[in-house]
Amino acid sequence: MAEEEKVRPYVSHGTAMALSIWGIVLVSVVFFFVYGLPDLASDRSSQDTLYYVILAISGVAYIIVQLILGTFIFRFRHRDDAAGSYWHDSHRLEVGWTLGTAAVLVPIVVSGLVIWGDVKASTDVPPDAIVIEAVGAQFQWDFRYPGPDGAIGGFQPELYSLENPLGIDETDPASADDFVRTNQLVLPVDRVAHLRLRSKDVQHAFFLPNFRVKQDLVPGMETSVTFTPIKTGEYEIACAELCGLGHYRMRAFLTVMSASDYDAWLAEQAAQN
Amino acid sequence: MSEGHDDHGHGKQGFVSTYLFSFDHKMIGKQYLTLAMMMALVGGILAMLIRLQLGWPGTLWPSLETFFPTGMASGVMTPEFYVMLFTMHGTIMVFFVLSLAPVSGFGNFLIPLQIGARDMAFPFLNMLSFWTVLPGAIIILISFLVEGGAAASGWTAYPPLSAIRSAIPGSGAGQTLWIVGMVFFIASFTMGGLNFVVTILNLRTKGMKMMRLPLTTWAQFVVGVLGLLSFPALAAGAILLLFDRGLGTSFFLPAGIYIGDQLFAHEGGTPLLWQHLFWFLGHPEVYIIMLPAMGFASDIIATFSRRPIFGYRSMVYAIIAIGILSFLVWGHHMFVSGMSPFLGSVFVMTTLAIAIPSAVKTFNWLSTLWKAKIRFTTPMLFALGIVSLFVTGGLTGLFLGTNATDIQLHDTYFVVAHFHFIMAGAGLFGALAAVYYWFPKMFGRFMNEGLGKIHFWLTFLAYYGTFFPMHYLGIAGMMRRIYDPNTYDYLKPLQPVNTFITVSAFILGAAQLIFVANYFWSMAKGRKCAESNPWESNGLEWSAPSPPGHGNWEGEIPEVHRWPYDYNNPDEDREFTPQWQPARVKARG
Ligand code: HEM
Ligand SMILES: [Cu+2]
Ligand SMILES: [Cu+2]
Repeated sequence: MAEEEKVRPYVSHGTAMALSIWGIVLVSVVFFFVYGLPDLASDRSSQDTLYYVILAISGVAYIIVQLILGTFIFRFRHRDDAAGSYWHDSHRLEVGWTLGTAAVLVPIVVSGLVIWGDVKASTDVPPDAIVIEAVGAQFQWDFRYPGPDGAIGGFQPELYSLENPLGIDETDPASADDFVRTNQLVLPVDRVAHLRLRSKDVQHAFFLPNFRVKQDLVPGMETSVTFTPIKTGEYEIACAELCGLGHYRMRAFLTVMSASDYDAWLAEQAAQN
Repeated sequence: MSEGHDDHGHGKQGFVSTYLFSFDHKMIGKQYLTLAMMMALVGGILAMLIRLQLGWPGTLWPSLETFFPTGMASGVMTPEFYVMLFTMHGTIMVFFVLSLAPVSGFGNFLIPLQIGARDMAFPFLNMLSFWTVLPGAIIILISFLVEGGAAASGWTAYPPLSAIRSAIPGSGAGQTLWIVGMVFFIASFTMGGLNFVVTILNLRTKGMKMMRLPLTTWAQFVVGVLGLLSFPALAAGAILLLFDRGLGTSFFLPAGIYIGDQLFAHEGGTPLLWQHLFWFLGHPEVYIIMLPAMGFASDIIATFSRRPIFGYRSMVYAIIAIGILSFLVWGHHMFVSGMSPFLGSVFVMTTLAIAIPSAVKTFNWLSTLWKAKIRFTTPMLFALGIVSLFVTGGLTGLFLGTNATDIQLHDTYFVVAHFHFIMAGAGLFGALAAVYYWFPKMFGRFMNEGLGKIHFWLTFLAYYGTFFPMHYLGIAGMMRRIYDPNTYDYLKPLQPVNTFITVSAFILGAAQLIFVANYFWSMAKGRKCAESNPWESNGLEWSAPSPPGHGNWEGEIPEVHRWPYDYNNPDEDREFTPQWQPARVKARG
């Protein structure tokens, strides 16, 4: 270091660093008010509540810690008067912030686990839930409805073919009235939907941005999601797990209808079958 | 770049034994650094191409067809090429840049100097480790040229995509080379880890107790252990994957896979097994990248604050705690994978537990700055940058580590933002800070300070500009690894954000060229550093000549009398008291 720099070591850069950090905090926080979660259309508001709680906690921590960092950089950027201090341990402080951090984390963990438990408790699917099979394949979604008998028939991978893409087992009586819609899912509002997810080829992820629903499809096993639409409308369905070169266009639609429209739609489908 | 003073130890020093098959830890460290820098250029170009596509999806760039005749055929990027770009970008950056530079590069260069040893414990193994990783790197690079192109299943290489050739074009020879390259990398890295651990445990000079080690060396020690314990899991996984690909086994493949009108005969495996094996390595790996950066930050911040590091003991415990916990959290990558939800809940607790030692480190750094007398050299600016990036990236971990909120954010750009701050950002800034700081020791010259400052400012601001807005994209629901977000109506309004990010990324990328130029220019022409301790620092490495000759110290290895953070110790009469300074009782009046 050149001699004069030992005396005044680039003080202006300290000021600039402090200003940059403060500026970054300001700008980055403002845009959280511009961009947010997609409109919620399902009963999963508890996930959003927790999201906002964590956003508030981590936002406050972010602002405070970065502001302190900037302030210390500014305040101690250079002092002709004093030497650096030799203070380097404080049992009280260290225990304090260790326990303090833990105290903030515990409620997050606990509420996270509780909400997770609710969302994942798909073992108790109510009897009046609509059960639909969703099949992912490079690069489309097929939705198989149970038809009037309310039961979805079986499938056999050996039966996969261009004519029978879902490998539907026609010998299963439950299959007879099933019908399939490609890239188009229709659900009634305010009724529990239970989707059984399976993949024909690689992994995919069933992602409903507006419904706070995401679940991987894993070949060889069945996964599922359970949720209740609370708003009618048209929504997009996305694939969120890399599944090949067409991953970006593995898109489908979800139409949420009123109960009466849905019944009419079902009747129409049954008539077409 | 003279190594000077070559008459110690290993006999005559021709060009081949000095520069190619050197046993000298310093030369091996430099070889690793050079390799990492080359790989960073490749990884960086790939990132620029990713951003080019996302900034202006589907635009024609006819001039690029010359360089990428298939990937950019007739000037438009193909989706195949895009998938390869981010797969190889992630692979190269994680393994061949940010594991090689801070760990293999600086670990090798610094450990003997910081603990007072003439070399690593196993110099031959050390040489071998470099010559094992080099073929790995070459294999990874040439995989772009084989039929079907490079691997395209993401840096995570999830089967069946990575196991079945017809699943994606890159799943042919490219994926095989990816696996083989990784096996070379793993073999090399475990050799290095073994060397680190044995050297640090056994070769410390007189007086260098474990609790007097600089935090950089503590970090490298834990990193060595992590590497030794975690990489074998990936090695096993990679070899099983190779079997599934070539020998018809079914470790990762279940019955009933149907691709391209063909039903595969596999039976009994599950892709989730790969995810467990991969993330059993993958999570420790991100700490392999981060811990050295945290060590560098601690040493550099202490030096230029003219302050002892605050809470040294808790810093050491935090490093160890992070190391242990890093083995218990892998499942947080798998909350929505189909793994048992109960298991997911367990991983939430272990994951958020890691936040505690991380917070401790942050508070200790802040306290180190309290009542400091800061010198804003380029390495110090980068070290302060690490603290800022680490705070930002650490806090977003709360959203992802809590399973209930991860459902929405998993596999979106929120994750891309998160890990580019905490792992890539802290790691990159750590490597850069380390280069500026230890450059005089490595080459006997300083890097140009003016260029360094310009490099810092562009990098720091453009880094935030590039990666912070990715949080907004992720919150708004943009998936990662998608070639064209405008396929979705709800993502179309986000295009301005993507364009902004791309412009920032280009500035960020260009700024790194300043660094590369400065690095090579300074090596030959930089201001000479005559002193052994130019930064007035306390670590033992600053007692050796700049650059140190073969064997590091000309006479005896100095004895160590104190910890490396005695700045402004009121019991001493100097502003700083290096580790090799015997204790003296000052007459206080
Ligand atoms: C030059 C600055 C960089 C830019 C502009 C950049 C940009 C990106 C972008 C846009 C993606 C997401 C691609 C996608 O999901 O479609 C990505 C992925 C990734 N980046 Fe970077 N990156 C940079 C530096 C780094 C560094 C230094 C690392 C070091 C660890 C890194 C590691 C990764 C990884 C692991 C992925 C995930 C790849 C995957 O999804 O398989 N990046 N990067
Ligand atoms: Cu998909
Ligand atoms: Cu996909």
